[in-house]
Amino acid sequence: MTLARLRSLQLRLAVQLAILYAVATAIAAAILIYQAYDTAETLGERDLNLRAADLARHVVPGTNGPRLDLPPQLAAAYQAGDADMFALRGTDGRVVAASPPGFSDVVAKWPLPSDEPSYFNLRNFGPAAQDYHGLSVSVESPAGQVAVAVARAKGANVLVSALLREFIMDVAWVVPLLVVVTVGVGILVIRRGLAPMREISQVAARIGPATTHIRLSTKNLPEEIEPLVAAVNRAFDRLEQGFAVQRKFTANAAHELRTPLAIITAMLDAMNGNGEMVKLRSDVARMNRIVEQLLRVARLDAVALDVSGTADLNEVASEVVETLAPWALAQDRMIAFAGPDGPVRIKGNKHAIGDAIRNLVENAVVHSPPRSEIAVNVEEAGRVSVLDCGPGIAAEQRELIFERFWRGKGTASNGAGLGLAIVREIMNAHRGSIRVDQGPAGGASFTLCFAAEARAAEPAAEHATAG
Amino acid sequence: MRLLVVEDEPRIAELLRSALGRAGFVADTVASCADACATLALNPYDAAILDLGLPDGDGLAVIGEARRKGNPIPILVLTARDAIEDRVGGLDAGADDYLVKPFAMSELIARTKALLRRPGGALGTMLKAGNISFDTIGRDVSVADVPLALPRRETAILEHLMRRLGRVVPKAVLEEKLYGMDEELESNAIPVHVHHLRHKLLDGGATAEIHTVRGVGYLLAETKS
Repeated sequence: MTLARLRSLQLRLAVQLAILYAVATAIAAAILIYQAYDTAETLGERDLNLRAADLARHVVPGTNGPRLDLPPQLAAAYQAGDADMFALRGTDGRVVAASPPGFSDVVAKWPLPSDEPSYFNLRNFGPAAQDYHGLSVSVESPAGQVAVAVARAKGANVLVSALLREFIMDVAWVVPLLVVVTVGVGILVIRRGLAPMREISQVAARIGPATTHIRLSTKNLPEEIEPLVAAVNRAFDRLEQGFAVQRKFTANAAHELRTPLAIITAMLDAMNGNGEMVKLRSDVARMNRIVEQLLRVARLDAVALDVSGTADLNEVASEVVETLAPWALAQDRMIAFAGPDGPVRIKGNKHAIGDAIRNLVENAVVHSPPRSEIAVNVEEAGRVSVLDCGPGIAAEQRELIFERFWRGKGTASNGAGLGLAIVREIMNAHRGSIRVDQGPAGGASFTLCFAAEARAAEPAAEHATAG
Repeated sequence: MRLLVVEDEPRIAELLRSALGRAGFVADTVASCADACATLALNPYDAAILDLGLPDGDGLAVIGEARRKGNPIPILVLTARDAIEDRVGGLDAGADDYLVKPFAMSELIARTKALLRRPGGALGTMLKAGNISFDTIGRDVSVADVPLALPRRETAILEHLMRRLGRVVPKAVLEEKLYGMDEELESNAIPVHVHHLRHKLLDGGATAEIHTVRGVGYLLAETKS
């Protein structure tokens, strides 16, 4: 979710940057092209003016009024194609000369121009049906004032057009290239800029109720994100404090409940009971158990378990069996213990491990049918398993049962649903694990596995005396 | 039989006193370390029941003080489960037994009796379990007042089981107590003796039964009525 959102931000920035670059490049190209065409047009008009003046220079007075006397090569140039046209009129409006002759018919209908040049456009004129752009002006000639009209076919200026086209083509292929390069560089830059955010989101994924101490690093973060991360960290501080207050409250509440519960327990014990009294006693026993479990959980949350000591799994497990056997017998169940002859030493807290095993055995006794036997086995490899003959744990529930306050459906469990959560936390503190399977007899089989490195080195002397 | 109860919570102290009274003990109650030390120094109690959380200090200090003065009084410590880890060293050093709170009053009384039944304890002479009686001086066993003749080792096993009535006696403890260093010990010697003893008790109509806790030991429990 977070990653997808990051990516879309990345994409959004890249796409917007690319669009911006494309538009900017297009505008710049458009301005350049416009300028170029403008310049070309100015050049064309200057050319028309020059030609008008040049034509006027060759008008000489003649017997029948003014006459055009073009040098031969110039005349040949005008007659070579139909790109250039001209028409000269005297002050009386009579056409002096025209090329091609058809142009004179058009010009004859026009009023005489003034000294100020006026431009005109002709569409689909002449045999080639070309568009022409031209100039009509009154110029001083050796034979007095003459009206000159010169026109040139559009696009006849081949060189200028070719240059313009080439320029446009150059710009045109650069635009998409620029866009591609910009998007590429943009994505790279954005990715690199957002990398610290991906890192802190991975860190944030590890934060949970049991890991409220983790904070997000503001190192290498973009300045814009830093206030957000700092604010989130401060929010975590407040939440952690809230959690601590809650835990303390739970611990205090459980602690305060102890004495009144002890009084009720003792008073119920002292009363001679019928059936109701037995039920009341079991209710109070359940309350006692819940209070003890709450305190245990609060303690595990508040202080890290000291696992630096040494424990003999054989001794711890057999002591648990020894302690619980009378209680199990009173419930009409038996407990059996089996372990290797020598000690199974591991690094860890023997009271906590004893607590874990006791929780498992208590659960096993509660869930076993009467007259059945619960087996507690210790293996040389650092494993303790507790097997019962109860209904077992359905495969889909084997992860859920370790959650705090988990209660099986329809089970007459008398705890708060904290026992197995406590066992798992104790095992986590020892870097070990707890596994639940189906036992050979069909019931549940819980196995505490202590990590290999937790195995404490056995003193050599121990082997010598044992043999 | 006079006991000292050191407990600062007045209602629990009162309940302990009346429960112990019903079990045939006379109990005095004090509520602080200082009072406990002073009372122990003055009066010859048969046993003390000591709560560790006291207003003027840790109950373990009372044990230390008593032992320094050479007072061998059996002491049963009451402690909360979450405090065991911190204090187990002190418990091992001076206390004779400890009971984790919350406890059943019947368990407290059974433990107290067990302390008093220890060799040298005030209840040393006559052990009872159901209708089984054991005279530790004459070493005579009777079931429902009918004498039961037992071989020496079976008698010794029964004595240990009766001294720890309702609790498991590890097989290793029995082996240690019954056989000297030089004696050849067959691996199934104890189970064979227990097997015979169990049948003799059953045949005699005893209302207490020996249960096997496989891999750990044996347990004598009164038969549920």
